[in-house]
Formats: sequence, C-alpha cells, structure tokens
Amino acid sequence: MAPPAQSQRSPSPSQPSGKSEVSDLKLQLRQLAGSRAPGVDDSKRELFKKVISYMTIGIDVSSLFGEMVMCSATSDIVLKKMCYLYVGNYAKVNPDLALLTINFLQRDCRDEDPMIRGLALRSLCSLRVANLVEYLVGPLGSGLKDNNSYVRMVAVMGVLKLYHISASTCIDADFPSILKHLMLHDSDTQVVANCLSALQEIWSAEASTSEEASREREALISKPVIYYLLNRIKEFSEWAQCLVLELVTKYVPSDSSEIFDIMNLLEDRLQHANGAVVLATIRVFLQLTLSMTDVHQQVYERIKAPLLTLVSSGSPEQSYAVLSHLHLLVMRAPYVFSSDYKHFYCQYNEPSYVKRLKLEMLTAVANESNTYEIVTELCEYAANVDIPIARESIRAVGKIALQQYDVNAIVDRLLQFLEMEKDYVTAEALVLVKDLLRKYPQWSHDCIAVVGNISSKNVQEPKAKAALIWMLGEYSQDMQDAPYVLESLVENWDEEHSAEVRLHLLTAVMKCFFKRPPETQSALGAALAGGIADFHQDVHDRALFYYRILRYNVSVAERVVNPPKQAVSVFADTQSSEIKDRIFDEFNSLSVLYQKPSYMFTDKEHRGPLEFADELGNLSIGEAANNVVPTQMVEENDKDLLLTTSEKEETKGSRNNGSAYTVPYDGSSTSVFASQAQIESAVSNPTLAGHSPQASFAIDDLLGLGIPATPAVPSPPQLKLNTKAALDPSTFQQKWRQLPVALSQEISVNPQGVAALTAPQALLRHMQSHSIHCIASGGQSPNFKFFFFAQKFEESSNYLVECVINTSSAKAQVKIKADDQNTSQDFSTLFESALSKFGTS
Amino acid sequence: MAGAASALFLLDIKGRVLVWRDYRGDVSAAQAERFFTKLIEKEGDPQSQDPVVYDNGVTYMFIQHSNVYLMTATRQNCNAASLLFFLHRVVDVFKHYFEELEEESLRDNFVVVYELLDEIMDFGYPQYTEAKILSEFIKTDAYRMEVTQRPPMAVTNAVSWRSEGINYKKNEVFLDVVESVNILVNSNGQIIRSDVVGALKMRTYLSGMPECKLGLNDRVLLEAQGRATKGKAIDLEDIKFHQCVRLARFENDRTISFIPPDGSFDLMTYRLSTQVKPLIWVEAQVEKHSRSRVEIMVKARSQFKERSTATNVEIMVPVPADASSPNVRTSMGSAAYAPENDALLWKIRSFPGGKEYMLRAEFTLPSITDEEATQERKAPIRVKFEIPYFTVSGIQVRYLKIIEKSGYQALPWVRYITMAGEYELRLI
Repeated sequence: MAPPAQSQRSPSPSQPSGKSEVSDLKLQLRQLAGSRAPGVDDSKRELFKKVISYMTIGIDVSSLFGEMVMCSATSDIVLKKMCYLYVGNYAKVNPDLALLTINFLQRDCRDEDPMIRGLALRSLCSLRVANLVEYLVGPLGSGLKDNNSYVRMVAVMGVLKLYHISASTCIDADFPSILKHLMLHDSDTQVVANCLSALQEIWSAEASTSEEASREREALISKPVIYYLLNRIKEFSEWAQCLVLELVTKYVPSDSSEIFDIMNLLEDRLQHANGAVVLATIRVFLQLTLSMTDVHQQVYERIKAPLLTLVSSGSPEQSYAVLSHLHLLVMRAPYVFSSDYKHFYCQYNEPSYVKRLKLEMLTAVANESNTYEIVTELCEYAANVDIPIARESIRAVGKIALQQYDVNAIVDRLLQFLEMEKDYVTAEALVLVKDLLRKYPQWSHDCIAVVGNISSKNVQEPKAKAALIWMLGEYSQDMQDAPYVLESLVENWDEEHSAEVRLHLLTAVMKCFFKRPPETQSALGAALAGGIADFHQDVHDRALFYYRILRYNVSVAERVVNPPKQAVSVFADTQSSEIKDRIFDEFNSLSVLYQKPSYMFTDKEHRGPLEFADELGNLSIGEAANNVVPTQMVEENDKDLLLTTSEKEETKGSRNNGSAYTVPYDGSSTSVFASQAQIESAVSNPTLAGHSPQASFAIDDLLGLGIPATPAVPSPPQLKLNTKAALDPSTFQQKWRQLPVALSQEISVNPQGVAALTAPQALLRHMQSHSIHCIASGGQSPNFKFFFFAQKFEESSNYLVECVINTSSAKAQVKIKADDQNTSQDFSTLFESALSKFGTS
Repeated sequence: MAGAASALFLLDIKGRVLVWRDYRGDVSAAQAERFFTKLIEKEGDPQSQDPVVYDNGVTYMFIQHSNVYLMTATRQNCNAASLLFFLHRVVDVFKHYFEELEEESLRDNFVVVYELLDEIMDFGYPQYTEAKILSEFIKTDAYRMEVTQRPPMAVTNAVSWRSEGINYKKNEVFLDVVESVNILVNSNGQIIRSDVVGALKMRTYLSGMPECKLGLNDRVLLEAQGRATKGKAIDLEDIKFHQCVRLARFENDRTISFIPPDGSFDLMTYRLSTQVKPLIWVEAQVEKHSRSRVEIMVKARSQFKERSTATNVEIMVPVPADASSPNVRTSMGSAAYAPENDALLWKIRSFPGGKEYMLRAEFTLPSITDEEATQERKAPIRVKFEIPYFTVSGIQVRYLKIIEKSGYQALPWVRYITMAGEYELRLI
C-alpha cells in the first residue's frame, strides 16, 4: 500500500508508465468534482477504483491529492472508503496536504451513519502526522461516547494510535481513564477487548516513568478486573478471549481454591474450536498450578488430548506452532507424552519443518518402554528421499542412544547405517558412533570392527572425517591399519581444507604414536611438520605445542595427550535450565518457536505487554515455588552466568541445536564435561579456557588451582541484622531495579549443604535463622534460585541478594545490592558464613 | 493476544507484495519484500522453509494458499500460534468473498481487499474475522447498490456469530457426520498408528434466531461424560464444540443446544484414538526381474460389513521413477500409470464390504541406470475412499430440533460418511 516501497521497483514494460494516465485521471476527477449530475457517483467510483489500483501496483498518484479531496464531498460510502484509503496512504508523505483532509474527516466523524463515523475516525487516527494531533482529541472524545459500539470500538483503538503519535496529548486528554471506564462498563465485548489491548500497551509504556501508571498497570490484574473479564469470557470473540486469557496468566490468585475456581471456569475453553484459545487456556492452567506440583501433573494429563488433536488436525503451520509448544512441555515432563509417541510419526506429505519437530519430539519422549518402536520408525526415515530429514533421523537415533541405559539394539542399528553405503548416512553415523564410544566404551569392540572397514576416502564431510580420525587415534591399538590410514591422511595434509580435521589429525597421530611408535613415527614427523607450517593459527599452535612437549619428555606428553579416560556420563546441555524456564514463562509466544527468551530477539521498545507479566505477576512471596525472574535480572545474568559465548551462538543457530546436546570432544567444543578427559582437551587446546568461564573454573578445580572446596568459615563481622525485617515484593523489585550491584561473587557450598538442598524450603528456614529473609525462590535440582533480603538492625537500610545455587557444581552465584554500599562487604561476609553453615547445623 | 502485528502482506508466488496493510508503521513493505523474495529464492522449495522466520528484529509468519502468500510481520514477541491461526482465518474470509483466493481474485478486488484488511485487524490486533459478520457491512460490487450498509448488528447482540433479520423461503439444515481415518502401516504390515478425526459439519439455511437441539446416541454421550458403558467401548477423545454451543448445558444434561451461525460451520469435532481395523487393507508384492522388468501385485480387501460400500476408492501405488511401458490388469476398476507422480493409480468406483480385488502390473525398466541417481523412492501406498452411511465411532444423531419463535417448520437432513484421511501403507 505504501508507494515509497513500491515505487522503487521500476515499472515493467507491461505496466502503464503512469505519467499520462495520472494526468488523465486528474482531468477527469476535476470535471466530476463539482458536478451534481445523476450517476456521477458511479463514474467517480470507477475513477477512484483506478486510482486505488494504480496506487497498489506502485504508481505514484499523490499528485491527485487535491482532486481526490475535492471529490470526497459525497454521501456514497464506497467512495468515502476509497478516499479514506487514498488519504491514509499519502498523508504521511504529504503532511501539508493532509491538513486539507482534516476538515472533511472531522465532518464525517459527525455523520449520522455510524459506519461513516467509525471509518472516518479510523482514517483520522491513522494519518500518523504529528502536527495534526490536536485535531484528533475532539473526535476521539466524542467517538468514545458514541452510542454505536462500532464507533466506540474504533475510537478505543484510535486512542492507542494517538498515544503512539503523541503520548502526552493522549495522557493529557485523560483518555486512559475513559478507556478504563469503558473496559469495565461497555456492553460490547469488542470494545472491552480493545480497551484492554490499549490500556496494556499504554500503561506498560508509561510505567517506567510514572508511579501512577505502574499502579494502574497492576490494577489491570487485580481481582475485580480479572473476575469481571472471566465472567464475560464467553461473550468475547475468539481473539479477544486469547487476550483475556493472556491477562489471567499474570494474575496471582490468593489461595488454591481460587485457582481451582478459575480452572473450573475455563475448563470448557479447552474444547474451543480455535486452537489459539486452547493454547492460551493451557498457558493459564500451567501458570496457575506452578506451585502445586500434584495439580500441575494433572494439568499435563488434561491438556494432552487437546494438544495432540491440534497437532494432527489442521494446517501444517498449526502443527508446527503446536509442536513447538509440545516440545517445550515434553522437556519438562517427558513421561507425560511417552505413551503417545505414535502421534509424532511423520507422514509422507508433511513439510519438513513439521517433520523436523516431530523427530525432536520422538527423541524427547523416548524411554525404556518405547525406544525400540521409535528407533525402528526412525530407521525407516533414514532411507528417506529427503536427505536433510534422513540425516536428522540418524542424529535422532544417536541422541536416543545417548539418553538410554540399554543401547544394545541401537548400536546394532547404527552399525547398520554404516553399512548402507550412502555417503550422508555414513557421515552422520560416524559422528554418532564416536559419541557413543565416548559414553559407552564397552562397545568399542563391535564398533571398531565396522568402522575399520570404512575407507577414509569415502568420508568427505569434516565432522565425519574428524570423528573417524578421532576413532583411529583412540583405538589405534585395536585397528590393524590405523597408523597407515593416518599416514595416508597426513600425506594429503595440504589438501585437507578443514582446520577441525587437521587438528584432530594431529592429536590422533600423537595418540597412535604412543601406542605404536615404530609404525607411526614417520607419520608423526610429517604431521608435526605440516602442522607447524600450517597457516591456521590453532593448528600451528597445537603442532608446536606437541612438538615442544615431545622434546621435553615423551611420557609427560603421553600423560597430557592421551591420559586414561573415564566414560562421559552426561553430555553438557547447551541450554541452561534458567533459559528454559524463561521460555516456559513466555509460553504461547514466539519465544517457544525460536527456543529463546524474547529479550534475545526483540528490541526494547517492542517488548510489549509481555514484559510486564514477568516483572509483576510472578515474583510471588515466600515459598511459592516460582522461578520467574524479572527481565533485567536475567539479562544481567546472561552476561556472566547463563551462557558462555559459544553457547550463545549455539542458540542463535539452527533450532535443533537449541534443545539438542552438543557433544563436546577434544578441542572442538567449549562446553564443559566433567571427566578427566577434560585435561586432554584443556591442555591440547589452550584457546579453550579463554572462551568459557565455566570451563576454566572446572579446569582450575581439577588442577587444584580453584577456590578451595571448603572455604574457611569467616569470622562473623560486626554487622547486625534486624531479625524481623519486612519488605514487600514490589518495593523489593523496585529497589532491585534501581540499585547497582554492589558485590558479585561465587561461593562454594559445602557438600552437606548441597545434600540438604533437596527443595528450596530447607534453605529458606536456615537463612531465616540468620535474619536473612527470602522473598522469592524457585528452581529444580540442580539449579535453585533465591532472592533474599535483610535489614540492618535499627536502621532501614536494606540488603538485597540474588543467589543462584547449582547443586551439581556446589557453587552459589551471589549478587548483592545494598542501600548502604559501604557495608555491603560486611553483609557479604555474613551471608557467606550463613550459607556455609547450611546443612551442618 | 500478546503483542500486535505490525503489518499484513499479501504476496505473489515470487514474494512480491500485491497488497499490504500497514498497521503500526514499524515494518516497511520494501523491507519485507526484500527479505521474503530472498527467502523463497534461496530455499527453492518454500515447503521446507519454517513458517516463522526471524530477520533483523522482525518476525515474519507466513502461510501459502494457491499462488498467494499471506504474511504478517511483527517486532514484538507475539502469540505465534494465534497469528498463524489468524492467517488461516483470513484465507477463509477471502474465500468467502472471492470464491477462490488467488492472485487474480486479489488483483480484481483491490478495494474490497483493503476494506477487509481494515476490519479484520486494527492497529495489529485482530477484530472481526467471521466472514458472515464482515459481509454485512463490506459488500462486493454485486450487492453494493441494493443494500444500505450498517455496522454489524452482531456487535450489539449477545450472539456474535449470527445477526438478526436473516430470512429464507425454505428453512433447511444439513448435518454431515464426517469421520476421516488416519492410518500408518509399516513395511512389516503392522499398524503403527491409527486414529479417526470426526466432525459434525452443519450448513444452516434458517430464518430468524432459531434454537437448535441436537441429540446424539446415548453411548457416545455417556462416554463423553466419562462413564463406563457396556459393549464395544469407543472413546471419543477431546470433543470440541463451536462457540455457539452452550457448554454449560452440555455439562449439565448432555444436550447440545445452540443458536447456529448462518451458513456452514463445524458444530462439533472429536478424535478417536482407539485402534480400529483398517477399513481397506492393501497388500503389495514387488518382484524385480533382473534389471529389465518389474512386476507389482496388489491385493485390496475391504474389511467392513457387507451392507456398506466404499465409493471412489483410489489406491496410489508407487513405482520406480524410471519404469516405462506399463501393462496392467485388474479384477475390478481401472488403473492408470501416472508418471508425473511416479505412481500407478487404481480407481474403483464401488467397493462393497468383505470383497477382495487384485491388480497386476508389469513395467519395463531401462537396462542401464545412472549409478549416481539411483535414489530409491520410499513413497508409501496411499489410499483414498469414502464410505457413506457409515461411521467408525458409531455416533448417531437421534434428533435435531429447530425451534424459532415464528414457528416455521425446518427440514433437517442428516448424512454420515467415513473417508480416508492420511491413509498410508509403507509396503513397498
């Protein structure tokens, strides 16, 4: 519709060039403008239509502005509509001309036909010309009071438009409070719904600067408003119902009976024909029951059937959106859907974006009882014509193998893949076999026999080649011709384009050398020479390092490059549970489809009303298990805690990486995995430590350089805390937002403490005995998150603490904010000492 | 719906903007067009592209309908599922107006398209999307002269899906009970997935504000209530009703009572995941004689009661892509080679229950094959059929009462049909 966009395209020869036609139209319009002859409207209509279609195909007809406005003096509604359309399109680029239209639009706003009143008002508000806002206030004011609901509905949206053009004009005219009144009293539900949209946007935008606005915003989710809307929900249109349900998720009921009342009331919304309503209802149910574990489980059972129906009926796009949500739920409760795995079998005709998600679902729901069937099904896809899907299927088999205890049958399947002799199948399978061997070394015998038969010439993809080389190095004593295969690979050093492969080749030749020195010596020499001369910095560095360490002492070199390894028990998950929780909090939004929280893909000014949910509704008091964190906090965390740089890239990458496991091995990845094999990777790839703070901590630990495991309990400082401190959540939030971080540190938690931390509650009671009070807590093993506060004795100086405890690493990340910055160090010591006593008393 | 859409685009098959409506002024057409044309060029096959894509701060969500793309753009964290549902609803609206939604129909009706885009969404928030309601105040040319336009009556009604003053000379209701059977059989002949999706589809041509009451057979209703019943247990899962049905009434006394919208709609949908015997079973045998000839034998058996008859049965048997000179014989129906689908299409007009038919086909294969291109197609056998007067679930309409205050007599017509949905047998 916007001409600037379209006019960039040079008109094709078949299209009219415009010039002469436009001047023609101009002439004709002028003739008709003053005419009152019968039938003139019909001819005007034809002309207007021509203008509109020229406009649409990208011819600039803005020069007709004057004539169009002149012709707009008509009672014909169709002509009016076309004229509004034209005006709306060109007003923004011709603000001076727009002034011409104000007059007739304002007049139309007082027309006796409500349809014209509404349309004129909508056009008037859509002009988006800042210097015309003064003309909007009057018509909007009367539009809001119009006795026709169509006009009111348009006017409400008009207020929102005005707000976006000029917020101060909108607020000064006191429109928000009129909207509030309309929302609670209008008989028409579409008016109510539009009021709700508008008020949410306006108050959210205002809340950062105005106390009153943030109070108003909270009032939207107060009990009377929520109940009023819930009681009318059946009258709303389906989209408006979604809006109301969205609001209800932000509401915090006072007790469990209230929760059940709301759920009973909304129960039948799960049977609504519109999937959007069903999903919105599901979100309400999930959010309401977060703190009631048993009920939460029942909710999963209840929502299963509607979700599965939505997946299997309707358009592929619908399946796609719903499957993304299912995937999120399955990650949280895999057992719920484990018996419904057949719903995720792929149909032949489905688009691959649906198939991909279904494969992810199959991977996620696989457990002891259904693995066999699922893997059988996946193997069918491996021979699929659609190569990307075939690859994904093989990867899925591998992922399932890494999740399961009994991998007997799966290993056989994987080995069959290797024998299928399709390049891409072999490539994928090699990567999987390598990961499998790292977890289940006991299978090495069977695997090596098959892998040994693969000619390295048939493997071209870097990842697969690297995997093959890794196996050659790792199992060189079991593979007869390993040194010779490696040697031939080294001979082609210059033709190997992938640095990853060359890095692996270096390490593999080293390993092979330690096991079968005489056979490998020449290959090693060639590899080191090639590596040192390599133009790639990492390859060069590694080669040089190997060379020097070999010169220093061969047995030390062996200890470094090829130490005895333990099987990897758990591969690191790329997405922290905090990120996952955060996505869950944004259930039924794009976050779920992208598998990342909204702040990662929206600009600040476009976060919209969602953000306010996070700050407001969910930071509940005390022990209500609620792992929601205000946006800002998470953002801060991200920088230092949640994601290492490499992981961030992972999440940005293709969606399958998001939830999948990256499988770190040797130097190719920077994730952490807790085993001795780490030394190898850490030492062999010195760049690693710089990349990932977590990794470096772990290494420090292993090398005994890190923070002592049981720190000496510091002597209690002089600071005295008020035992009966009180702080309400909103003040907490506000303070947390305002104050800078005074101190941020990592504290070790002693093993007894970790053992005692089965649920957040235990720690809360303990800290309370030290006059440190909890305001919100949440999380599941191994990650717990707490917000504490304390007050100085006989002073109203507050300390605010965010504490994230990871029980598997026995570390607590603590951030302290204080009113009185000078004493924050004292408080920190106090906090640390309190925390360190946890579990020992 | 959380978050608002910035704009709605209608694009042609090459991704160029046909018509668009800018709702919030923060995404430009040029930007969207540039992104989208690149996207579909790059992919080649737009089918494989996710329907939700992120680019430079903007999320694009799109669906394709014939030779048109419908796309929304947004900068907020929108309710993705809702917007996709919404786009499909927009398709319905356009189809209602133009019979078929395609590039031509849009080009011919720019003005109406703009009018519609204006009413279905305001400032990025969905408004009216019921075609019936919209057509009360947005008329196409044909009607424009006669009827004066009023804002939608439904707005002031408690019944938003029906407006007052509808009048028919002959009052009729058509109720179709349609069940579609989805089945997936693996290469060992095991059924790995089977379910049935049912719908009560209504077309109403009724005057005034009619009160309808629908009675279904008890078994179905009792089961819906969760009570155990005797006899063959069939679980209707996940029953959904059109918004016109008074759900509270249904919860209380199991009557389905409603004021229907005008025209066609789905009154009730349900799903049945109990495994049922495949209604039509197909077995296939493929014999390759050296590399010159391939012989395919297909047996189709109807596994329902003899008193029912399947009609318009189509069995699509995949054949190698390089097969030629078909020689086909069938014991019933006709078979034709469809090289464009690499398949043999076997059509049987009428297939009574308890019968078995055969097909035997022979193809010549080229003696020389390109080693590189021997990518074996693993297409399943696909079956289509319709069985009138039959439902898998056993659902039955006991009565359909129509009461209107003017007291007219309305004629209810009820029809049952079971058909194949996704019916795939991976046998070859």
